[in-house]
Amino acid sequence: MSKDYEPNIVAFLCNWCSYAGADLAGTSRVQYPPNINIIRVMCTGRVNPLFLVNAFQQGADSVLVSGCHPGDCHYMEGNFYARRRFTLMKELLEFIGVDPRRVNMSWVSASEGGKFKDVVEKLVKDAKDTGPFEQFRRNKINW
Amino acid sequence: MVDLEKLRQTAKDIVSRDDVKHIIGWKQGTYGFRVEPHFAAEPDEADALTFSPLCTNNLATYLTLAEKLPVPRGEEPDTRKVALMVKGCDSRAVVQLLVEQGLTREGVYVVGCPCSGVVDVKKVEKMFPDILEPAQAYWKNDQIVFQLPDGEKEVSREEVLPQKCLLCRYPNPVIYDELLWDEVKAWGSEDYEDVKELEAKSPEERWDFWKDKFSSCLRCYSCRNVCPMCYCEDCVLDRLNPTWTFRSVNLSENTSYHLARAFHLAGRCIECGECERVCPVDIPLMKLNRKLYKEVVERFDYEPGIDPEATPLQASYRPDDEEDFIL
Amino acid sequence: MMEGMKLQKEKLNDFLDGLRKEKYLFAPQKEGESLQFSPVSEESQVELDFQNTIIPPKNAVFPQTETLFTYQIGKLDIELPEEDRERVVLGIRPCDARAMEIIDRLFSWDEDDPYYFDKRNKAALIGLACLEPCINCFCTSFEDGGPASTAGLDVLMTAAEDIFILQPVTEKGEQLLSEQDLLETASDDEMKTVEKSHAEAAEKLQRKIDTEGIPQGLPGLWESPLWEKVSGSCLGCGICTYLCPTCHCFDIQDEVEGFDGRRCRMWDSCMFGEYTLHASGHNPRPTRRERTRNRINHKYAYFVDKFDVIACVGCGRCINYCPVNIDILNILAQVKEEL
Repeated sequence: MSKDYEPNIVAFLCNWCSYAGADLAGTSRVQYPPNINIIRVMCTGRVNPLFLVNAFQQGADSVLVSGCHPGDCHYMEGNFYARRRFTLMKELLEFIGVDPRRVNMSWVSASEGGKFKDVVEKLVKDAKDTGPFEQFRRNKINW
Repeated sequence: MVDLEKLRQTAKDIVSRDDVKHIIGWKQGTYGFRVEPHFAAEPDEADALTFSPLCTNNLATYLTLAEKLPVPRGEEPDTRKVALMVKGCDSRAVVQLLVEQGLTREGVYVVGCPCSGVVDVKKVEKMFPDILEPAQAYWKNDQIVFQLPDGEKEVSREEVLPQKCLLCRYPNPVIYDELLWDEVKAWGSEDYEDVKELEAKSPEERWDFWKDKFSSCLRCYSCRNVCPMCYCEDCVLDRLNPTWTFRSVNLSENTSYHLARAFHLAGRCIECGECERVCPVDIPLMKLNRKLYKEVVERFDYEPGIDPEATPLQASYRPDDEEDFIL
Repeated sequence: MMEGMKLQKEKLNDFLDGLRKEKYLFAPQKEGESLQFSPVSEESQVELDFQNTIIPPKNAVFPQTETLFTYQIGKLDIELPEEDRERVVLGIRPCDARAMEIIDRLFSWDEDDPYYFDKRNKAALIGLACLEPCINCFCTSFEDGGPASTAGLDVLMTAAEDIFILQPVTEKGEQLLSEQDLLETASDDEMKTVEKSHAEAAEKLQRKIDTEGIPQGLPGLWESPLWEKVSGSCLGCGICTYLCPTCHCFDIQDEVEGFDGRRCRMWDSCMFGEYTLHASGHNPRPTRRERTRNRINHKYAYFVDKFDVIACVGCGRCINYCPVNIDILNILAQVKEEL
């Protein structure tokens, strides 16, 4: 793998906590790696686990789903449902042979700009270790 | 013990009722070891019904398969019950449909057939090739006896039963309005040995295993259509706008298809093994389903298709669900 | 026409290597559990001892997914795929070869389909006579069908004790054989044994249907309760059509990824509800009853009407692999009763 490989990370952040946390990291001038592509959703409960599969197909090297801490969900319980679904999808992806470090979930609240930076840094480091995702990437197979 | 006289008589009584549309059961197929689903709407059609180790089909799928056409103006919709013959595993599909409200309890009349395990027809056909004459089979202690043109052949159950039957823990219907004969003693226990074996391998080895299987998929959608739990009127895999999974058949789209199919059955699969049975290219789909089944049991202490009063797994949560992997 | 040639069985691999030198060679190989026709490479193990492959060899000339052209969003030109290479399909059963001849008529209906014929015209079919037909084969029910029928083939190959006999059928086949140097002329005795084994194989077939009157009679049964009865257990999956050597329906889709796009066609099945679904939401074949009726009618009536041949070759795949035992011979027997 070449040294200058830059992973492409797709992050689904909930509007009320993690997205605000990422925003806080920005306004507080906390530096975090630019490899992350943020998609804002209203709640992690809105993240259909098939989004993860689709992200991998379309070229993500690692994915992140991040939302409010348990009990803090703006919609009371969205992140609890999300947690169950994510657990199962993570197990399934691992079972067919996707590296577990590529499938991530975190709780980042609106006040945790620092934690957001830590999460992103860990993800980028892991993604650089695991290398580009090629297993079932759509990328012109048989075109 | 299986009592075909009683089965046919019961079926006749049921279809004679005004509030029953038809009874769905099994009948001898057109050749060899095949058995086909049979829809008896009149008492005399019930004579063809049968029950044997060859009755592999899970008929619960027909409860939700029928296309609902708009009712012509001035006509009343048909609200009669559908009667259904079920084995143990099939009855769990009925329960899970009730849990998900895909069905009302009043809409179905369940006739339970305690079952000692049905055969894997592919295995039987390999054992006795080139049999065109319709053949029959029955249970005898720990054996299955096949009635072939050149006499009866006894085969031990281990040799011809599919994995799902060897591991079966629910041979007796868990829900029924009427039970046709005495319950049988459950024999199976689940240890997820094959799932654990694959889990123990490295991610690369696991992917090598699945890559071969997924690339041979034809996308005939038989595994989806035969599944009693796959009954969405608008399946995500048929959607064109947005297109979740492209129609082209290649490794990427096939993987996406199989992930979506397996995931949508997480906490819902009742282990009837129909998907694996129908697959023309022998993809071990039950391995995916059983992996998720194992996680569901171990992590959430939930077993689908047992309790009609339960809440669906993915529509419920516990605040203290495991989250050791969350950053 | 050239005489029959023979090839020692132990020289088969060298023979295949010779064919592979300049051409794509499709031959049955193990893929996972099942046997499939796929391009032969150095390490592949060609298997010629089989009844028939589950997936028909139509994908050698009509791939399941085929790129028609690629394009880039925002640009006006399209790029056509490269022209295909000459190919040889070895080990194709006579029924499947006949099926190719049948779908040729469809693809050359008003105008030749360039994608199909680019591959088809470059393909030479080396058939393998069927000596052990499967229980649901009924190829002898059709005029030029049979376990050693040469319809559609360029060369007919028959396995004997320790040799293969190769008989050229067309000029293309003769040309192909003359290029190979491992072949010897077969003796009269050997040819006689082969002919005998062909005749024996035809005797082994257990199922048959007399198709007389079916093409003319089927349209009259449009509203017959028969269709409801035979389609009741249908799951609406694509096994019978995807595994059928004469089914040729396809769907055309645009697939776009970022700024790259391609238009491609892929097999479609008339047993899917989507197949006839209109954009308005109306579906002229709303239930499995209409779809089953269409499948039988298309094979045994419409195709005969248009192209003068029944679009069924009797390979028995739809019977063998239907998960709910929908048996086309049984349906046709019921049709005949109603006529």
